[in-house]
Amino acid sequence: MKINNLSKEEVLKNLVTSENGLSEEEAQKRLSEFGHNEIKETKKTPLSIRFVKQFTHFLAILLWIGAGLALLSEYLHPGEGMLTLGLAIIGVIFINAIFTFIQEYRAERAIGKLKLLLPFYVKAIREGKETEIPAGEVIPGDVIILSEGDKVPADSRLIETTYLTVNNAPLTGESEPVPLQHEPYLGELIESKNIAFAGTAVVSGSGKAVVFATGMRTEFGRIARLTSAVEAGLSPLQKEIVKATRVIAFLAAVMGIIFFFIGQFIGRSFWENFIFAVGIIVANVPEGLLPTVTLSLAMGSQRMAKKKALIKTLTSVETLGSVTVICTDKTGTLTQNKMEVKQIWTFDNQQSTIDLLMKTAYLCNNTKFIEGQYKGDPTETALLKYARENIGDLIADRISEIPFDSERKRMTTVNIIDGKRLGFTKGALESLLPLCKYVLMHPVRNELSNGVNYRKIPIDEKLKEEITNAYHSAMDKELRVLSFAYSELEMHNSEPEKDMVFLGLIGLEDPPRPEVPNAIKKCREAGIRIIMITGDGSRTAAAIAREIGLVKENPIVIEGHDFIKMSDRELRKKLSEKEIIFARMTPKHKMRVVSILKEEGERVAVTGDGVNDAPALKKADIGIAMGIAGTDVAKETADMILLDDNFATIVNAIEEGRTVYENIRKFISYIFSSNIPEIVPYLAYVLFKIPLPLTIMQILAVDLGTDMLPALALGAEKPTAGLMKQPPRDPKERLLNFKLLSRAYLFLGPIEAAAGLFGFFYVLNSGGWKWGEMLSSNNILYMQATTACLNAIIITQIANVLACRSFRESVFSIGFFSNKLIFAGIAFEIALQLFIVYHPWGNAIFATSPIAAQMWFVLIPFAILLFAAEETRKFAIRYFMK
Amino acid sequence: MYKKILTAVNEHLNSEIAARYALNLAKACGSKLYICFIAEKGITKSSFEKAEEAMKRLFLDAEKLNIETESITETGEPVEEINKIVKKEGINIVFASTRREDIKRRFYAGTVARNLSLKLPCSVALVRVVHMGRVHPKDILVPLKARIDHAKERAYFTGMMAQGFHSKVFIFHTVKPITKFFHGEIHLTPAQWEERVPKDISNYIEQLKKCEIEFEGRLSPGHTSRSITIEAASRRHDLIIMGASERSMLSSVLKGNPVEDLLKETPCDLIILKPRHEG
Repeated sequence: MKINNLSKEEVLKNLVTSENGLSEEEAQKRLSEFGHNEIKETKKTPLSIRFVKQFTHFLAILLWIGAGLALLSEYLHPGEGMLTLGLAIIGVIFINAIFTFIQEYRAERAIGKLKLLLPFYVKAIREGKETEIPAGEVIPGDVIILSEGDKVPADSRLIETTYLTVNNAPLTGESEPVPLQHEPYLGELIESKNIAFAGTAVVSGSGKAVVFATGMRTEFGRIARLTSAVEAGLSPLQKEIVKATRVIAFLAAVMGIIFFFIGQFIGRSFWENFIFAVGIIVANVPEGLLPTVTLSLAMGSQRMAKKKALIKTLTSVETLGSVTVICTDKTGTLTQNKMEVKQIWTFDNQQSTIDLLMKTAYLCNNTKFIEGQYKGDPTETALLKYARENIGDLIADRISEIPFDSERKRMTTVNIIDGKRLGFTKGALESLLPLCKYVLMHPVRNELSNGVNYRKIPIDEKLKEEITNAYHSAMDKELRVLSFAYSELEMHNSEPEKDMVFLGLIGLEDPPRPEVPNAIKKCREAGIRIIMITGDGSRTAAAIAREIGLVKENPIVIEGHDFIKMSDRELRKKLSEKEIIFARMTPKHKMRVVSILKEEGERVAVTGDGVNDAPALKKADIGIAMGIAGTDVAKETADMILLDDNFATIVNAIEEGRTVYENIRKFISYIFSSNIPEIVPYLAYVLFKIPLPLTIMQILAVDLGTDMLPALALGAEKPTAGLMKQPPRDPKERLLNFKLLSRAYLFLGPIEAAAGLFGFFYVLNSGGWKWGEMLSSNNILYMQATTACLNAIIITQIANVLACRSFRESVFSIGFFSNKLIFAGIAFEIALQLFIVYHPWGNAIFATSPIAAQMWFVLIPFAILLFAAEETRKFAIRYFMK
Repeated sequence: MYKKILTAVNEHLNSEIAARYALNLAKACGSKLYICFIAEKGITKSSFEKAEEAMKRLFLDAEKLNIETESITETGEPVEEINKIVKKEGINIVFASTRREDIKRRFYAGTVARNLSLKLPCSVALVRVVHMGRVHPKDILVPLKARIDHAKERAYFTGMMAQGFHSKVFIFHTVKPITKFFHGEIHLTPAQWEERVPKDISNYIEQLKKCEIEFEGRLSPGHTSRSITIEAASRRHDLIIMGASERSMLSSVLKGNPVEDLLKETPCDLIILKPRHEG
C-alpha cells in the first residue's frame, strides 16, 4: 500500500497533518528531522584529492624515489649533473600527472541543471493560513497549493483538484500535459494520477496537495541521486594505460635493481651504479606516452566534432571504438521524426465514414496551422495536414480536453458542432477499443454533418478481431497506427470516453533516415549489436527494425509491461539473444537494460534526450545525448552529444574511435621502439666498462622532445581499410600485447640500438679512443660521441615513424604522402635535433657537442635498413598470413 | 522468536512511523506490543501531548489489527527506563527511531539510538524514516555482509516483516572487486559471482526460505554504501533492512562505515537490526 492508494482522510492521518496544514512549531520539528527540501550532489572525491592521487600511484612513487636519490646524490656529490636529473624526473612526474588528470577530468553540471527545475518559493497552508514559504523549507505533511505556472516543489499527494494538468516531462519525457485528480488510485505510485511530482510544472488548473517526500527522497531526487552517484568507472583505455604503466614500472624497477647489483658485484661505485639504475628506469619509462595519448584523443575529438559528434570527455573518443552494444531510441534517431499519413482504414471504406474519421483527426488535435505553418508535434501535424487536405478547415468550439499521456495512451476532446456536443478520441487501439460500444458502418439516415447518415452496430468479438487484424496488418507495414472514435454526448454528460463509436484507423509512417540502413550494416559488419528501445508498439517497432536491417529473422520483442515483471535472470537471458527489441518502453527502464548488459561484460553506448534518461546515460560506457531534441540535463550527463540526432553519426564516431585506438597502438610501437636504444647503452656501459653512450637528459630529449610531434602525427593516420569489418576488440586484449612489444623491442629497437652504438663508437674511434679508456663527462670527444648516439636514434626514429604508419600494409600502398602531418612532425624532429646538436643552448642543456655533417650520412643507412626491414616484415605477414 | 515487542515513541513524527513497522511485525508474529513513551526531564507540555497523541493513534491502529497492546509512560532517562521495562517484561525486540541529529554525529556516538543498540539485553531495530509515501513497503532490500552472525534471527526478522507487508525481498551482497596487480580489476559476470556466494549468505537464504516469502538476490562488486544506495534508488525499493555495524571506531575511520553512510544517504526507510537471539 502506498500513499496514492489511500483516501484523503487516510492520507492526512498517515502523514499526521490536516487540511489546515501544520503548525509552525511542528513544521520546525519536521524540518529538523527530515532536512531541507533540496537536491544535493553525492559526495565525491574532491578535485584536489583526485589531482594529488596522480602523484601517488606505483610509477609516480618509483619516479619520486629516483628523483629523491638524484637530489641526495647532488647534495653528496655536487656538480655531476644530478640536480638537473632530479628536476627532470620531477618534471616527468608532473607532466604525467597533469595529462592523466586532463583525461579524467570532467565537469559535473547535471545536478545544477536539475536544481533549476525546482521552484524557489511555494504557497503552503500553515496554521490554517495560506502563506508563501521558501521551497527548501517544505516538509512532509505540508499542505501546498498548486496553480497554473507553478513548479511542484516536492512529491505530493493531491487532495483537491480543479482541472489540474501538469507537465511531467522531467520524469517521463512526455511533454504532453497530464490531467491529475485527487481520488485514490490503485496502481503504482510512479504512475499515479493523484501525485504531483517534484520538478514537474502545473500547466493549467489548480489543486491542493500534501507533501510526502522531499529533497533527495523524491522521484526527482532519485534521478539526481542516480545521475550523481552512478559511476561508469575507468574507460577501457584508462584501464589499459594503468595496466601498461604497471608492467613498465615493474620491468623498469626490476631491471634497475638487477643491474644495480651487477654493478656492485663487478666493483663499480655505489653512485655509479645508482646513476645507472636511475638511467635504466628513466630509459624504460615512456615519458611522452601520456601527453601523446591525451593530445591524440584531443585531436580525435576535434575530428569527431567535424562529423557532428561532440565529445565531452577525452577518453570517450577511444571508448566509442570499443563499444559492443548500442541501445538506441527509434524516433528521431533511426527515423526522421517526420510523420506522414500512409493508410486509412474503416469498416465500410465509405467516404462519409472517412470524412468523420478526418473530422476526428482534425478536432482531436492540438497542432495549430498558423501563417502557413504547422505548429505541434510531428504525429498531430501529420494528422491535421492530412485532414485539412481532405476535408478543408473546420470550425468547432472545444469545450474540454483530456490530454494525451503515455500511460492512458489516448486523448479526448469535447466539441460543439452544429449545436451537438460530441466527444472525439484518438489513441492506441488497446487503450481505445475497450471503451467503444459500437462501430460505425454503412450510412442509412441523416444524423450528423454533410447530410450523411450512419448506423451504429454493437461491437462483438468478431468485429474486435477484425479491427485488431487491420491494426496489426498496418503495424506490420511499419506504420504507427492510431485508432479513432467519437461519442454523442448529452449537454451535461461529462463522460466523453464512455460508450464510444469506433470509427477507424490511421497509419502514419515515420520514414527511416536514409543513411541509417547503411550505418546498421556497418555495425553488423563491425560486430556491434544494436538494441532498439522505443515507446512504439511491438509490431511497428519490429517492422521498422526489419526495414532498416536491424533485425533479419523473428526478433525477441519485449514490451514495457513484460519488462517490469521480468527478473534479472530472465532479462539477462533475453539480452543474450542476437536480435532483441524493446517496445512500449519508457526512459526509466533504460538504466536496467544498460546495467545488465554491462554486468555481462558488454561495452554499452546508450542514447537519450530526457531528464529521466540521465541515470542511464551516466551508467553506460558512452552516454549519447541528442543535440537537437535533448534536454540540458541529458546533455550535461552524456559523454557525447549528437549535433544532428542521427544514428549514422554514432557509427561514424565509432569508426573514428577505433581509428584512434589503432593509432594509439601505432605510436606506442613508435615510442617503445626508442626504449631499446635508450636502454642498451646503459647495459653496454655496465657490462663492457665503456663510457656511458647516452645521458639521461639525452633520453629525455628523445622521449619528451623529438618523438612527440611525429608520434602525434601518427595519431592522425586515416583508418585502415577493413577496420569496421573487424569485431570489437576483446576486453582481454591488452594495449601492450606480445605482438606489439616484440615488434618494438625485438625488431625495431635493436636496429636503432645498433645505429646508436655504431655512431657512438664511430666518433670515439675517429677521435683515437682506446677500449677501456674512461672519459670525463665534459670531454669534447665524449660529448660528440653521445651526440652521435643521440643522432642515430633520432635518424632511425624518422624511418620508424614512417614504418609505424601501418601494421600490415606497405607504406606505399596506404599512400606515402597521405598523412602530411607526419612530414611536419619529421621536420620538427630534425629542427629540434639541429638545435640540440648545433645551438649553444642545446649543447648546454643536453651536454652535446656539434658533430661533423658527414656523421649524419654515416647514420642514414641504418634508417634505410630499418624501413626496408619493416617493409619486408609486412610483406611476409601479408604473404604468409592471408 | 519475538513474543514481546516494544516500540519507543516520542513527540517526533518519525518515532510514530517507526512504531508502525513494529506494529506490522507484531501482527505478523502474533506478538504482544508495548508502546512506551519515556518523558525526559524538562519536556514541554506540547511535546508531552504530541507523544501521548501518537501513542493513542498507535494504540487504536494496533487494536484494529487485533494486536494485544500495552501502553507505558514513564519519566526519566530513556535508555535506562527502556532497559528496565525490557528486563521487567521480558521484551524480545525494541523498535526505536533514529533522529536526523543522531546521524550528524560520527558513528552516531552517544545518541539514544546508539545507546539502546549497545546497552539493551534484547534485539534492537533502529528505524530511519525518510519517505512517508510508502506506507506498506512492497520491495524490501536486504544488503548482506559475507559474514553473518545470528543468521536465523536476521532471516526471521526479514521474513516476518515481508510477510506482514506482503513484500518481496531482494538480497544484495556487495563484494570487493577482484583485482590483480598487472591486470587491474577482473570483470566477473553475475553468473560467475554467484559461484562465489559466501557460505553465510547461503545459510541466510536457507533460513529465509523457511519463511515462505518471495525473494531474489544478486552480488555486485563495488563500494558498499554507494552500491546499496544506487541499488535501492534504481529499483525503487521501499525499505532497507540491514545489520548493525560491527566495525570498530578505528576500522570505521580507516575503511569507512557503510551503516553510517547509509543512515545519511538512504533513499528509503531503513531498519538497522542488532540481533541478540542465539541459535
